[in-house]
Amino acid sequence: MRITQRAVALTSLQGLNRNLDAVGKLQEQLTSGRLINAPSDSPTGTNRAMQTRAEQSAVAQQGRNISDAKGWLEQADSSIREMLDTTRRVRDLTVQGLNTGAVSDASQQALAIEVASLRDGLLSLANTTVQGRPLFGGVTPGSKAYNADGTWAGLAGPPITRRLSESEKVRVDLTGPEAFGPAGSNLFDIVERISTNLTTDPVALATDLADLDTAIKRMSTSVADIGARASRVDRAEQLNFDRSMTLTAQLGETENIDLPNTIMKLQMQQVGYEAALAATAKAISPTLLDYLR
Amino acid sequence: MSTFSSLNAATTALWSQRRALDVTGQNIANVNTEGYSRQRVDLQAIGGSVVPAFYSTSPGIGAGVSADDVTRIRDAFLEGRGHTEHANSARLLVEADTLEQVETAFREPGSTGVQSLLSEMWDGWEDVANQPDTDAARAQVIQRMETLVGGLQFSSASLESQWDQTRDNLEVLVKDVNAAAETVAELNKAIRVARQAGLPANDLSDKRDVLVMKLADQVGATVRPGQYGTLDVVVGGMSLVSGSNANKLAVAGPVDPDLITATDKPRIVTASGNYNVVAGGTAGGQLSTLNTIIPGYRAQLNGIAKGLADAVNAAHKTGFDRAGLPGGDVFGSSTTGPITADSIKVLLTDPALIAASSVGPTGGIAALDNGNADKIAQLRQDVTGTDATYRKMIVELGVQAAVAIRNQDIQAVISTQVDAARESVAGVNIDEEMTNMLSFQHAYSAAGRMVTAIDQTLDTLINRTGLVGR
Repeated sequence: MRITQRAVALTSLQGLNRNLDAVGKLQEQLTSGRLINAPSDSPTGTNRAMQTRAEQSAVAQQGRNISDAKGWLEQADSSIREMLDTTRRVRDLTVQGLNTGAVSDASQQALAIEVASLRDGLLSLANTTVQGRPLFGGVTPGSKAYNADGTWAGLAGPPITRRLSESEKVRVDLTGPEAFGPAGSNLFDIVERISTNLTTDPVALATDLADLDTAIKRMSTSVADIGARASRVDRAEQLNFDRSMTLTAQLGETENIDLPNTIMKLQMQQVGYEAALAATAKAISPTLLDYLR
Repeated sequence: MSTFSSLNAATTALWSQRRALDVTGQNIANVNTEGYSRQRVDLQAIGGSVVPAFYSTSPGIGAGVSADDVTRIRDAFLEGRGHTEHANSARLLVEADTLEQVETAFREPGSTGVQSLLSEMWDGWEDVANQPDTDAARAQVIQRMETLVGGLQFSSASLESQWDQTRDNLEVLVKDVNAAAETVAELNKAIRVARQAGLPANDLSDKRDVLVMKLADQVGATVRPGQYGTLDVVVGGMSLVSGSNANKLAVAGPVDPDLITATDKPRIVTASGNYNVVAGGTAGGQLSTLNTIIPGYRAQLNGIAKGLADAVNAAHKTGFDRAGLPGGDVFGSSTTGPITADSIKVLLTDPALIAASSVGPTGGIAALDNGNADKIAQLRQDVTGTDATYRKMIVELGVQAAVAIRNQDIQAVISTQVDAARESVAGVNIDEEMTNMLSFQHAYSAAGRMVTAIDQTLDTLINRTGLVGR
């Protein structure tokens, strides 16, 4: 076959260009630190990267949901616990008031006043708010769960929930009637009755005491319920953290370069490029002219 | 045989070797000229008379050498192959470039693409679900929807401007093709005149062949040899240059991608008669960009915008806003037409109108529920929803672009090899020219020596004979 200098130059140039192109591609990967700079670099990798990014965003949001849920549940837990303590104190006072023979009228009076003030404390605890929303108010847009007369000011509706993961939601609130009993016989009504009965009808206190025990039991159940939910949220938090770590690693594996590997590849490519340059220089330079005298 | 016939033969030899050396010089001078075909002097022995006559018989030795013809060495089949491969190469290059540009229009995978804007918007809805009572979360989700709409519009606008640019480029290309065709026709004419006058027109032919190769690149032209060394140029079955006549091409069809219909799309036609021309090469690639690639991705993007608007609107309407009223449309069209990636717009401006609640008002009091906001946020998981459709489109784009780039790489190798093969036939080999130069030089010297030799013999005859006894 006849070969001309230009044909050699043409094919050599193509080879050199391809080598340089490969070096350039590797350099782009090294300087950007990314394996995938466009979908065509790896369509399946792109799919995985996009999915991972979307999941990462969802998981980060779920992390925020979880910390919000924790805030609600912790607030609910501490409020009910405090109210339980107060209610136990009311119970003690009621038991004192029941001993009609041993207590003077004046001290009955004092007991009644203390119980009344404890009731105010209970009411204000029941009106605890989280980020401006009353904890025990259901879906009410108002700022109070209980009125001063002990009636529920909330609004019944769907439970307030927070999303922990794609498939799991947790309820973060407790409505007033659930925690403190139905209208007419709720905790505040009972305590008010006790405060009245202490001075007027100490005998009726026995029934009140039984009612109060029911209320205490209900509140204890509520605390247990909140605790169970909180532990679910804790578990979800751990899971969320693990998932976010896995996703970060996964995205890195898909999108980012393997540094030592890429540097090795670049070195090899450079050696290849230099060899091609040397070969081209040797192949192109000599002509018959060098040997004619 | 006359006394001086050997001198004459030597003279023709001197003259012919000189001519051959001239041609060698021309070849060496053009060793790097694009499109130059090497030339050869056709040396032919001048034979003696083969017709016997009564008193004159020919000794049959001949009368020297003639060098009238200088031929141009070129392989027509390889040239034809070259035209085809160049056209393919140009078409694939345009298609691969187009797809790479489409990729940049979507900026995926990364934190600036539509995918992450979508994620941010869904996150915004979850924030509303967390705090349905605050306007901050509600205003934020409206902002994020605006940003998403901006992202969709940006991608759509990049595609459209890419389309416009390609359409302009096609116009310019066709003008260039017309000018080149005109020149080819003129060169054809000059070549024919020269050939008819018996003159070599090798350099004109080279010039013309370079232009024809350019036409092959631009519109996928092929050639048919005509009379007197002319070439007819054909594009997609339509004659572009016929002898010394050139036809003109024009671009027809809409100048806006929205106006493309099944019957009216950008195409190349003959300027007279308006016949469709099936063009290859760069023009072919640009036509497939204009008619298939970009409209395809625009349609998909419009579908995504419409799907997003429909899904969010439908979900939003099942909820209730802060005032306890049922939710309205979230996304709408900024024009009277349907919702597209271009016209999509956020209709909600008042944060209170976001229907986060899944229950209506009880006794006139609006519930502060988050069920509907959560429901909208969970649209992100829909396997046939916006996120999934968008991802599918990007993956398809990636596959298409990767295939186009690979095809183009392969075609580039083929084209270079064909070019090298063409160059091997038509190009100048310096070693060969050097060898030729030496042989012509030696032949010239030998012919010179021949003249001296005959001179000496004649000298012997003229000056040294008839001197006996002097």
